[in-house]
Amino acid sequence: MVPAPFRPFISLASALVCALIADAAQAQAPAAPPSWQQGRSAEQEKSSLHPFAIEVTGKSAKQLPVDKLKVPEGFKVEVWADGLPGARSMALGSKGTVFVGTRQLKDVYAVVDRGGKREVKTILKGLDSPNGVVFSRGTLYVAERHRITRYDGIEGQLDNPPQAKVVIDGLDPQQQPGHFWKFLALGPDGKLYYNVGAPGNIVMPAYFQAAISRVDPRTGIIENYALGVRNSVGFDWHPQTKQLWFTNHGRDWLGDESPNDTLHVATRKGQHFGYPYCHQGDTLDPEFGKNRDCKEFTPPTLKLGPHIAPIGMRFYAGKMFPAEYQNNIFIAMRGSWNRTVKHGYNVTRVSFDADGKAKMEPFLTGFLLDEKADPPMWGRPNDVMVMRDGSMLVSDDQNGIIYRVSYAKK
Amino acid sequence: MSFSHKGAAAIFAAALSFPPTCPAFAADDAPQKAEACLACHGSGGNSTDPAMPSLAGQPAKFISLQLFMFREGNRKDPQMTPMAANLSNAEMNELAAYFSKQKPAAPSHKTAPENAAAGRHLTEQHHCVQCHGSALLGLQHIPRLAGQQFAYLRAQLRGFRAKTRADFDGNMTSAAELLSEKDIEILADYLSGLTPLRD
Repeated sequence: MVPAPFRPFISLASALVCALIADAAQAQAPAAPPSWQQGRSAEQEKSSLHPFAIEVTGKSAKQLPVDKLKVPEGFKVEVWADGLPGARSMALGSKGTVFVGTRQLKDVYAVVDRGGKREVKTILKGLDSPNGVVFSRGTLYVAERHRITRYDGIEGQLDNPPQAKVVIDGLDPQQQPGHFWKFLALGPDGKLYYNVGAPGNIVMPAYFQAAISRVDPRTGIIENYALGVRNSVGFDWHPQTKQLWFTNHGRDWLGDESPNDTLHVATRKGQHFGYPYCHQGDTLDPEFGKNRDCKEFTPPTLKLGPHIAPIGMRFYAGKMFPAEYQNNIFIAMRGSWNRTVKHGYNVTRVSFDADGKAKMEPFLTGFLLDEKADPPMWGRPNDVMVMRDGSMLVSDDQNGIIYRVSYAKK
Repeated sequence: MSFSHKGAAAIFAAALSFPPTCPAFAADDAPQKAEACLACHGSGGNSTDPAMPSLAGQPAKFISLQLFMFREGNRKDPQMTPMAANLSNAEMNELAAYFSKQKPAAPSHKTAPENAAAGRHLTEQHHCVQCHGSALLGLQHIPRLAGQQFAYLRAQLRGFRAKTRADFDGNMTSAAELLSEKDIEILADYLSGLTPLRD
C-alpha cells in the first residue's frame, strides 16, 4: 500500500462541532481526516464532492428567494420565523412555544408567537451539539452529543431557564468523529428514543452505535431498540399501529446511484437493519458484506433515493390538510452532497395505497436551484412538525429559517 | 481590558488596542462597521501588510464563518477575538457582504521564479485546488488563497500543522500535517504572488 495520500483541502460543515470543541483537545493525536471522507477509494481522494457548510450566522428571509417555494394547489407556504442559525429539530410546548435544537451551533431556541409576530429567544447556550428536543408535560428534554438533559417548567420561564438535570450521561464515550448528533423523540411507552450513529461512513460500529436506543427517564435504564441503523435523525410512531418508523442515511462513496437512503418500520425491539453488512435491504457492502446475506436483515419499507439525506419525519394526524393526508408521512430531505447530480432539498410526502404499499412524491419544493452547481441550493429542509391547528412547520438549518405550510379549502 | 460593552463601543475600544503597525485608513465607501477593519485589513479590504490577510473578494460565507469562530472562541487571535466578541450575526453578515464585493488588488508579492512550478505542483499534489478552486479563489466557506498575503498564509499553514489554528472540520489540519517547512514556504510564496483572477 502506498503511504497515506494527502487529503483535499476542504473545510466543511459535516463536523463543525468537532472543530468547535476539539481544537485544543487534539494537541497530540495524529490528525484524522474528516469522518465524511472515510471509506473513499484511492481514486475518490481526488473527488471534489463535499458536504455543504451551513450559514452559521443565519440568513434573513429577505435575502433569499423564498418566492421560489412551491406546494400543491390549495396549500400555502410562508416564512414563519427567521434568525435561528442552524435550526434543526423542533418540539412543541404545551403553551405553543416552538423549541428548536441545533447541531453545528451550541444553542437551543424558543419561538414564541405574539399576535402573529414571532419572537426568537436563545434559551440555552454553550451546549454540545444540542440537536434533539422533546417537550412533554412541562419538561423540555435536550439530546446533546454525550447526554440527555431535562429542563422542568421551562416554558413558563423562557427568559430565566432552569438548570439542566441529567437524565443520562456518557452517551459518547469514544468522542466519535461522525454521526454524534442525536435526534430525540418520546415513544408511546414514555421512553426517550435517540440515535447513536455509526462513528464513520463505513466502519464496524460498537454495540451501542449504529442503533436507535431508548432510555426510561424515570430509571435511566438504556436499551438498544433498533440495530444496524447507520444514522437515523428522524423518527415517529404510527398514530394507529404505534410502531416506530424511521429514516436512515445510507453510506457514501459507492457512486451516484447507490445505495439508497431508506424509510423503515421497526415492528419489535431488536431487529437488525443491515449496517454495515447490507445496504438498502438488498446490496451487500463491498467490504463488510463478505460472507453475509441481506436476508439476515430487516429490509426497508421504502427506498428514498441515493444520498438524498432524509432527516426529520412525522406522521400527519392534523385536522387542516385534506383527508387523504391522514397518516401520511412527511420527510424533510436535506439533499445530497455525495452525488455529482444533486437531488432532494424538499419535503416529501409518503402515502400508502389500500395494500399498504408506500408511494412518495415531492410536497414542498423550490430549494434546489441547479442540480449541477456548487452549491446547488439556497435552503435545506431539516425537520417537519405538525402544529395544533394542523399546519406544518419546516425548519431550514442552512439559513436558520422556519417555514409554515397551511391549507385552505377552496 | 474589558469587553463588556456592546457593538460599536467594543469595536472602538478594540481599535484602540491596535499595534502601531496598523495605520488608520480613510474609509472609502465602506459601511461604518467596516471602518475598524480597514485599519489592519487595508482600504477596501486589500491588506498591504504581509502579516495581515486581505478580505477583498473573499467569499462572504468564509468571512462570516471566521468572524463567528472568533466570536465563539474556537479561532483565537489577540486582535480579532475582541473585534468579533460583540458583533451580532447581522453585523457579521453585513461585513461579509461588503468585503466579498470588493475587488482584490494585484499582489505586491513576487513569487521566486523557482517556486512557480513547484508551488503549482504542491497545490495539485495536496489537492488544494479541488476545494479552493483551480484558480485558488475560494468558494462558499473556503477562502481565496490567490494573492493573499505571504506571511499570513505561511502562519496559517504552520498553525494548522501545529494544531494551533482552529480548523472547521479537521480537513486543513490533516492536510497541513503532511507539509514540510519547505513545502509551506513554497506554497506561501507561490500563492501570495498569484493574481486573483478567474481563469
